[in-house]
Amino acid sequence: MRQGRKSYLSQQQSAWLLLAPFLVTYALFLVYPFFRGIWISLHDWNLLAVAFNPDAKDFIGLRNYERVMWGRNIEWGFAAPLLQGLGLIGLAFTAFLHRTNRLSRFNTIALGVVSLLLVVLPGFHPGEGGRWYDRRFWPTVGNTVLFVGLTVPGVTISALLLAAGMNRETRAMGILRTLFFLSQVLSVTVVTLIWQIMFSPRQGLIANITEVMGGTPINWLTDQQFAMAAIVIATVWWSLGIAMILFLAGLQDISSEIYEAAALDNARGARAFWYITLPNLRRTITLVVVLQIILHFQVFGQSHLMTQGGPNDTTQVLVRYIYQTGFRDSELGRASAMAVFLFVIMGAFSVIQFIIGREKDE
Amino acid sequence: MNRGYYWLVIALSIPAFIWLVPTLWMVSLSFQPNDVLARTTSSTAFGLVPLPFTADNYAALFTFGQTPWWFLNSLIVSLGMTLGVLAVSTTAGYALARLDFPFKRTILVICLVGLMVPEQAVFIPLYTMFADLGWHNSYHALILPRMAVPIGVFLMLQFFRAIPQDIEEAARLDGVGWLRIFWYILLPLARPAMMTLAILTFLYAWNDYLWPLVSAQQREYYTITLGLASIQSNFAQSEGLGRVMASGVIASLPVVILFLIFQRYVVQAMTAGGSKG
Repeated sequence: MRQGRKSYLSQQQSAWLLLAPFLVTYALFLVYPFFRGIWISLHDWNLLAVAFNPDAKDFIGLRNYERVMWGRNIEWGFAAPLLQGLGLIGLAFTAFLHRTNRLSRFNTIALGVVSLLLVVLPGFHPGEGGRWYDRRFWPTVGNTVLFVGLTVPGVTISALLLAAGMNRETRAMGILRTLFFLSQVLSVTVVTLIWQIMFSPRQGLIANITEVMGGTPINWLTDQQFAMAAIVIATVWWSLGIAMILFLAGLQDISSEIYEAAALDNARGARAFWYITLPNLRRTITLVVVLQIILHFQVFGQSHLMTQGGPNDTTQVLVRYIYQTGFRDSELGRASAMAVFLFVIMGAFSVIQFIIGREKDE
Repeated sequence: MNRGYYWLVIALSIPAFIWLVPTLWMVSLSFQPNDVLARTTSSTAFGLVPLPFTADNYAALFTFGQTPWWFLNSLIVSLGMTLGVLAVSTTAGYALARLDFPFKRTILVICLVGLMVPEQAVFIPLYTMFADLGWHNSYHALILPRMAVPIGVFLMLQFFRAIPQDIEEAARLDGVGWLRIFWYILLPLARPAMMTLAILTFLYAWNDYLWPLVSAQQREYYTITLGLASIQSNFAQSEGLGRVMASGVIASLPVVILFLIFQRYVVQAMTAGGSKG
């Protein structure tokens, strides 16, 4: 340090000087693109046309949103009795649990909102002579929700069980954790490369094992019944690690005295897991579930590389549809409207995540 | 340590082995000759043991094909992004955590909102913006967008907040300026947090797929992650299974080595990254 230099920047000047590099990149590459995305979504904006002539875009207000999400003669009714019935049961169940005070306020609201959405959303359908303007959008959203709905419980339950089993600081457990976590650091393209060949009916390891056991190999990635299951399996394999580590951290906070006391009452193993581990881990479980929902709702690579959205659109997911609409069909306006839709959903879950995170600090 | 414990270890070893099998299989296939693989992938123990053995696939990777070049691109982009993120995050994190200035709360809130914006929601406007500037197919196009993500700022901010105030008060009494306090006193203290952030960023950069996919259209600017995606769609016909698998192994090597050496930091980084954005 140089000594004897008396003049230096004031606190305020230093602060702005230090903040400037981040604020500039933040404004240029996140805030501006975000608003520009909304701006694009309000235009009829063709990628190639605008590239040749910057004025070749028409302001059309919310038409893109209408084209993507709405249709002609859309009516509401009990069009999907199964899902809507499930929603109604959910609503009744929420009311019951709320009455008997078995749920926290947060969980009541979450369960209630999900049930309500299940009743309301599947009810929209085209009436006589009507049709959706974009026939693929809602099925794509549905596939994404299905993917999340299969992956998140899969990851959460297996990670929870494994973490509960490995909650000891020994060398063997350390090695086991490393093995489970290893796949997490691989890139999506390596994961899809491995699993594409794993699932291959001719060369795949799974097919080879089924053949030895006398079964007929399944054509995983091109069979409508199995394609979604295949990308879910690959994803669970890939992303189990973080959930497991978060659960292990949560388990560290449960004091061993509780378990010792419970052991005196003969509560060990499965009983201890059910009556002590689960209730004490509630907050961590909620956090992991919300995190996984945010992460997996943005699924792209698995669908894009393993199944190309097929067969017959059964694994087409939202981000891939945005990518295709924008860069294959050059419809940037419509793609941006879908991206805004994605942001709204992600934003809602981020707010939930933020609230849970805050509860922890208090 | 009782008998129950050993049974538990054995019981957990089975799923752990199953978890390892896909990776092991990739490594094993990469060491088998392509003409054998064209006939069968389960020569020895379902192909999990690389017999017949060959290292030709790796030799071929380094003599033809663009894999070494893509690998170098990934290295440049990942290191550049790591340095960039570290530079903007440590400075901004320090200013927000330990300096007083007007509109500080406003800036904090604005940055917090930015955590909610996923890459997938801004990649289209970013694409048009970079296209207007003529920046696509360059290293800075691949690096810059991630520098705007505020997660690093929050990681550093939390770390700087936890350091006791008297450290810089003593220096202030000696008349040391804020910038030097940052550079000479707080930055050296922040090494563990910087390490976590560096690993988080490096892993992200190495594994990122969507942005390189839209930004790098010329094969010379592909990252290894993107390059691997481009050769896997027609792997069996053109290159041979063994060689594609060898590319996969090469693509994973840096992150796996990073993970095995700095396991604690990697786990910390990924949970921090996972739980905050």
